[in-house]
Amino acid sequence: MLELVNISKKFKQNYAVRNLNMFIERGEIVGLLGPNGAGKSTAISIMSSLVEPTQGDIYFNNHRILKKPKPLRKITGIVPQEIALYIDLTAEENLQFFGRIYQLKGAKLKERVNDVLQIIGLTDRRKEVVKKFSGGMKRRLNIGVALLHEPELIIMDEPTVGIDAQSRNYILETVKRLNKEKNVTVLYTSHYMEEVEYLCDRIYIMDKGNLIASGTKEEIRRILSGEKTIVIKANRLTELFINELKTHPLINSINVEEKQITIMVAKEVNMFADLIKLAEKASLELSSVNIKTPTLEDVFLHLTGRALRD
Amino acid sequence: MQLLLLIGLPIILILILGFALSNFMDGESPEIQAKIAIIEHNSEMEQFDQFIHEMNKETGFNKRNIASMEKSLPIQTLKSLFHSKKLAKMIEVKETSVSKKDEILNDNTYTAVIEVPEDFTYKYLFHIMLNDGEIPQLRVIGNEQQQIGVDVIQSIIENFQQQLTLGAFIKKNGINEQALVIPDSLFTNTRTTIDQNKAVTSKDYYTVGMAVMNALFIASTIGTIAFKEKQTFVFNRIILANMSRWIYFSGVLFSTVIFASIQLLVIYGFAWFVFDVTWSNLFAFFIITVSLSIAISGIAVLLTAISYQIRSETITNFFSSAIVSIMALIGGSFFPIGDSSEFVRVIGNFTPNGAGMSAYLSILRGNALTDVITPILYLCFFGVTMIIIAALTFPKRREMV
Repeated sequence: MLELVNISKKFKQNYAVRNLNMFIERGEIVGLLGPNGAGKSTAISIMSSLVEPTQGDIYFNNHRILKKPKPLRKITGIVPQEIALYIDLTAEENLQFFGRIYQLKGAKLKERVNDVLQIIGLTDRRKEVVKKFSGGMKRRLNIGVALLHEPELIIMDEPTVGIDAQSRNYILETVKRLNKEKNVTVLYTSHYMEEVEYLCDRIYIMDKGNLIASGTKEEIRRILSGEKTIVIKANRLTELFINELKTHPLINSINVEEKQITIMVAKEVNMFADLIKLAEKASLELSSVNIKTPTLEDVFLHLTGRALRD
Repeated sequence: MQLLLLIGLPIILILILGFALSNFMDGESPEIQAKIAIIEHNSEMEQFDQFIHEMNKETGFNKRNIASMEKSLPIQTLKSLFHSKKLAKMIEVKETSVSKKDEILNDNTYTAVIEVPEDFTYKYLFHIMLNDGEIPQLRVIGNEQQQIGVDVIQSIIENFQQQLTLGAFIKKNGINEQALVIPDSLFTNTRTTIDQNKAVTSKDYYTVGMAVMNALFIASTIGTIAFKEKQTFVFNRIILANMSRWIYFSGVLFSTVIFASIQLLVIYGFAWFVFDVTWSNLFAFFIITVSLSIAISGIAVLLTAISYQIRSETITNFFSSAIVSIMALIGGSFFPIGDSSEFVRVIGNFTPNGAGMSAYLSILRGNALTDVITPILYLCFFGVTMIIIAALTFPKRREMV
C-alpha cells in the first residue's frame, strides 16, 4: 500500500531521518518505535506528505506520490500528537468543521459526525465545549476528526500521551476494532512498548534518525534469542556497583534506574555468583535478582542503549 | 471574548477620552472666574473736558472730531470691553477710587487690580493730537494665587495697550482720523475655521482615533489565532485534507476584512447613537471602512506569514504590544500630533490608521468622497503591498511543519 524508499530528511546540517526504508501493507497495524528525537515525527510527516524529503521516494499503490500527494491524502487520516482541535467549540462543532474541510456536506456530514461520535464514545458529550473535556476525551475527539472521511490509512502519532489508563484502553480497543471491522490500515507510534506489543503486527524501531530494526514481534524478539535479561533490585545503588557492572566483560548491555538495574548477558552465562560478590564489595544488600526472557523493551534497550521513554 | 474586547475597549476609550479632552479638542477655554478692580486716579471725563478746553485755544483743532473722540475714550473703551457679553461671564469688574486701593489689594477675592495712572486719558489724547509726550501705561497688579486669571487679565490689558499705541501711530502718520475710534472687533477674538465646514468635536475625533487604532488589533488577533492553528496542528490537518494553502491564506485575509469591518461598523454605530457622531456621506464612510479593512487584512496576512516562516509568534506580539501604539501615536489616535509638526503629519498619513483617520475626519467635516480619494487609494495600495509581501513570505508547499 505505502512504501518509503531510502528516505532522508536533512534540517540544516543534521539528518532527522536517514535512509529510511519502510512499507505498510493494507489491513496491517504497524508500530513505529523510538525514543524522543529518534525521527519518528519527521518520518510520519514525510509519510503523510506534509514534508518533502531531502532524498528518496514514496510509493502509494505502486505510484510515486512525492510530487502529487493528493491520492494519498484522500485516504489518510492523521492523528497528531497535539490536540489539533478548536477548544472553544463543542465536540460536534469541531467534527462539523473538519468534516466540511474534508468536503463532507449535508446529510452525509451529519451521518459521519454521528458515526464518529459513536466510535469515539462521545455521543452523550457532543454538545460540550472541548476545553471542558478531560485529556482522554480530547484525545478521543482528536482521533475522531481523523476518522471523519472514512480513511483507509490512519497515521497515529503517540495518541495516548498523558491520559488515564481507562481512556488509553478505550483508544487501543478503538484502533483494534477499526482495523478488524473496517480493515483500516494503521501506523502507530508510541512510547509505550506494551501498546505496540498489543496492537501491532509488525514493528519498526528508529533511533537517531536511523532504522535500527524491523520485523514482526517474534522476529524482533529473536534478535535477543541468545540472551537473557537479569533485573537486579536493591534498596540503594552505589557508583562502585554500577561501574563494576558496566565494566564487566560478560555483560552486553546495562540500564540503570533508581533502585533497579537491568543487564543482558548470554543465555549460557551464570552471573549469580558474580553479582553477589560485586554487591558485597560495594556493601550493597540486594533485594531481588530476577532472570527472564527478553521482551521487546529489552530488545529496544539492547539496540539503542537506552529505554524507550528516556 | 477577544472579539468582544476588541469592540468594548475602544468604546470605553472613546468615552474616557471624549469627555476628558472635550475642552482641549473643542477649542473651548477653561472656565475662569475672575474679579478685578479698576482704580482711576481722576475722572476720565474731567480729563477729556480739560483737553477739549485747552485744544479750543489751538487754531487748527477740528471741532468735528470731539464727538468721535468722546465715544472712544480709552478707559471708557476698556470698561465696555470688560462689560462685553463674553468677558462679563468670566470677569466681574468693580470700579473704585484710589482711597480703597490698599483695602482691595489685601482682599484675596480679587484676581487683579488695574490702576489707571493720574491724567492717563489727558496724556493719551495729548500724545495723539499734538504728538507730544509718551503714551501712558496702565498698571496691572495681580493676585499670585490666581495665576491663570492674572495671565488672562494681563493679556487683555497688553492687547488693549497695543491698540492704543497702534491708534496713536496711525493718527500720527495721518492715515485716518477714524483710527482714533477703537473698533470693538479689535477686542473680540472670533474663532473662525479656515474652511466653513462642520467642526470636528472631541467625540468625533476620538471615535475615529480609537476605532482605527483598535482595528489594528484585529490584525494581531487574527495573526495570533492563525499561528495557534499552526502550533496545534490544525493548519496541517487542513493541508492534509487536500486544501490549498492559498485557500487558508485567503481565509485569513477575508476573515480579517470581515472582522475589521464589523468592528468598525459596531464602534461607529454605537458612537452614532450614543455620541451623536453622524456621517452625512454614508457611501464615502463605507468605502473608507472597506479600504481600511483591506489595509488591516494586509497586516494580518503578513504577520501570519512571518510567524509561520520563523515558527514563532514574536512578531505578532511585538506588533500588538509596540507597533500598534507607535502607529496610533503618529497616526494621531491619541491627539492631533500632526498639528505640531508637518513631518509627523506626513509620516502619520503613511500609517493605515493615520490615512484612515484623515479620510474619516474629512468626511465628518462634510467633505466629499473625491476629497478623500488619496487616502483611500493609499489604504488599498498599502493592503495590496502587504498581501503580496505576505504571499511571498508564506512558507512554500511542504515546508510547513
